Amino acid sequence: MANLLVDERDVKFVLYEQLDIEQLSNTAKYAEYSKEMYDLVLEQAWKLAENEMAPANRKGDEQGCVWEDGKVRVPESYHRPYEMYKQGGWLSMAEAAEVGGQGFPVVMGLATIEAFGAANLSLFLYPGLTHGAARLLEVYGTKEQQRTFMDKLYTGEWSGTMCLTEPQAGSDVGALRTKAILNDDGTYSISGTKIFISCGEHDLTENIVHMVLARIEGAPAGTKGISLFIIPKLRPENGELVDNDVVCPGIEHKLGIHGSATSTLNFGENNNCIGYLLGEANQGMRIMFQMMNESRLFVGMQGQSHASTAYLYALQYSKERTQGSDASRIKDPTAPRVAIINHPDVRRMLMFMKSVSEGLRALLYYVGFCDDLVRSAENDQEREKYQDFIDILIPVCKAYGSDMGFRVCETAIQVLGGYGYCQEHPVEQFLRDCKIASIYEGANGIQALDLVGRKLVIKRGQLFKRLIAETEEFLRWARRNFELRELVAIFEAARQQLIEVTKYFGLKGMTEDYPETLLYATPYLELFGDIAVGFMLLWQALIAQRRLQEIYVDAGAKDAQAQREVLVSNRSAAFYRGKVASAEFFITNILSLAKGKAKAIMSGQRAAVEIPEEAFTLT
Amino acid sequence: MNIVVLVKQVPDTETKIKIGADGKSIETSEIKWVMNPYDEYAVEAALRLQDSVGASVTILSMGPERTVESIRTALAMGADTGVLVDDPATEGSDGLGKAKVLAAALKSLEFDLVFCGHRAVDSDENQVGIMVAELAGIPHLGLAVSAEVTDGKVKVQRPIEGAKVTMEAILPALVTFGGAHAVWNPRYASLPGIMKAKKKPLETKTLADLGLSADEVGAQAAKVSVTAMEMPQERQPGRKLEGDTVEKAKELTRLLHEEAKVI
Repeated sequence: MANLLVDERDVKFVLYEQLDIEQLSNTAKYAEYSKEMYDLVLEQAWKLAENEMAPANRKGDEQGCVWEDGKVRVPESYHRPYEMYKQGGWLSMAEAAEVGGQGFPVVMGLATIEAFGAANLSLFLYPGLTHGAARLLEVYGTKEQQRTFMDKLYTGEWSGTMCLTEPQAGSDVGALRTKAILNDDGTYSISGTKIFISCGEHDLTENIVHMVLARIEGAPAGTKGISLFIIPKLRPENGELVDNDVVCPGIEHKLGIHGSATSTLNFGENNNCIGYLLGEANQGMRIMFQMMNESRLFVGMQGQSHASTAYLYALQYSKERTQGSDASRIKDPTAPRVAIINHPDVRRMLMFMKSVSEGLRALLYYVGFCDDLVRSAENDQEREKYQDFIDILIPVCKAYGSDMGFRVCETAIQVLGGYGYCQEHPVEQFLRDCKIASIYEGANGIQALDLVGRKLVIKRGQLFKRLIAETEEFLRWARRNFELRELVAIFEAARQQLIEVTKYFGLKGMTEDYPETLLYATPYLELFGDIAVGFMLLWQALIAQRRLQEIYVDAGAKDAQAQREVLVSNRSAAFYRGKVASAEFFITNILSLAKGKAKAIMSGQRAAVEIPEEAFTLT
Repeated sequence: MNIVVLVKQVPDTETKIKIGADGKSIETSEIKWVMNPYDEYAVEAALRLQDSVGASVTILSMGPERTVESIRTALAMGADTGVLVDDPATEGSDGLGKAKVLAAALKSLEFDLVFCGHRAVDSDENQVGIMVAELAGIPHLGLAVSAEVTDGKVKVQRPIEGAKVTMEAILPALVTFGGAHAVWNPRYASLPGIMKAKKKPLETKTLADLGLSADEVGAQAAKVSVTAMEMPQERQPGRKLEGDTVEKAKELTRLLHEEAKVI
């Protein structure tokens, strides 16, 4: 059985042929890394994902987490793969050697995350959150905090969480009530309740380090008075770990990610919960925001992980499952039955999944690669340029990635039909596990507001202008390709629509029609995502088409018949043809809609906000 | 103690095999190459001895440049050094030719034990390990699923039907390994292991370095050559017999007799 988690060839195509990450070796920061090492890393990550993590996925879903007397047990099948993951040093793969990491490029980290998430998202959430907590400590912690907590997090010996949400404070974080009172020794006594805390309580690690947003007594209301605290489940005291009064009164029973313990946490029920301030007082939101790019990219990748594996699973099924006869003999009951991949509508679904998962993969990797370019940049100008790309693309990666990932899972179920709807096949689990990605880490509606209300506006719109300028540069190259000129034309028209809508938003934003941009923020983000993914696929097609021509020339295949034979016998040729097809499909079928989508956004139609609440009815 | 592990790079067993244009080799473009699984068990066995009795582990392989990937994988798992015999003149060599190359390379290495898989999963010939032992003039223990070293001897277990037989040999000796993934659970290379692997010594040699010439070990010397390859016949779909039990039994008997010709 082939790797059903990620298309290995496509991963390598994005890394080496599209992004050319080997160029990083020319920078001082990544000088000691090479393709040979990257290949080894991918190989090991895929093995680990396939052999250890994936087999625990279904069992984890069935068994779920079990809460008993304040303690939570993760599915039994999780312990071994977690141990393997920990031993492999994967948690700190892209961290600097100074903090015990291996210093690999961020984009390589993302490539492994895609496979781990595809293999077993619920399990992978534990180290995923741990990584986020460790990063906070790395950037904002004192030396002492780093030695006490960060080191154990980066090795995976302890795990971490992010505690933001409270019953009355979800998307509105500023409404939180968890309270911190300064003690004489400089620590804080914490009291309050957090809910929906992923991996909040479990037995995968001995200790859990919670990163908790709370308000110091007397601090201003709203987001300006929020501070960030390190609150371990067991606090180190005189060389021992003692109970820190963090109680888990229960866990949620959810649609998906059953193996991830979504916990309620009570801090300081017995007035014995100590927290350590991270960074400065009242800077909690700012600190959290700094880390959000990473976590939001990670959540976008969750959508992609599921899209990737759902597509491969449906593809395999469509080649094996026979049903119906070929369309050309549809009325002949004696015609032989064919595999369903022969049916045009099934092919349409497969192409949707193929093109979306490939385009998303490229987009997410690209943003990770921009982070590497920021980290290895030689001057501030360059650093700022790539940081701008990251900042504007993050909400798109998060929201579009999770939404499209879900749609790909849904399409995979459709390909499998009734069987896909049953538990006998894993695609229904992919769909259930995938849904959460559009909700947590800032619901997708919030991402759209971040894009429209913040990213388009800051630096006087510089982020968007820079991105457009970069695509213009690309188009100068793309327009020279005669073979793909029709795709280039559709892309250009769609890109122009995005520019128009963005200008329109800019004007609206300065008037009292401002709420209109809120109403259309989500459709705008979707349009943005379509064009971003279309851009990636067009870029790939230009490379692939050139390689394909080279193969034809080498094989002496001049006419259509000879070229078809090459496609059958030569795997590379087939792969590159598939890349061009992905661009053809997505750009023609999705980007052609850009004009209509733009028209709707700019219609100014306000029924949704203008009708009285009563008109929605329920009465 | 020094252990040399012979490692072959083979197409991943999950690769969809296509026969090449010459009709007697496989199409190798875009194939995923991996370390032969049985050799991986041999590496794991050597690394366990490295952990328990402190052996130094050398990986020896032959093949084109890409073979370095498999050697590096073993180094990342924990082996200490690597040697690759990379010479286009070995192209087309048969099992004996390969064994001669490896035995010659062994001569330049210090070893107490030579480990390898009992066969490579590409051409499944089950020959090279045994031939190397013969050429090197050392005893051979086959199909081992464990290996311990005590008092100058290597002791291994080999499964036989329903039981295990224990065998031992005086060092130096060659052991070929059998078993399965679940028996060995070969370790994964860790990221720190991968970082270290790139700094570990890996030497490349040619036939001339080993004092061999192409006509001793290359295609001309091969006593065995592949003349043709064909894909296995596609399996016929199953058939469901209709009727009551008696009718079905009669029809089944007829089919087994007349079509399958097994009774």
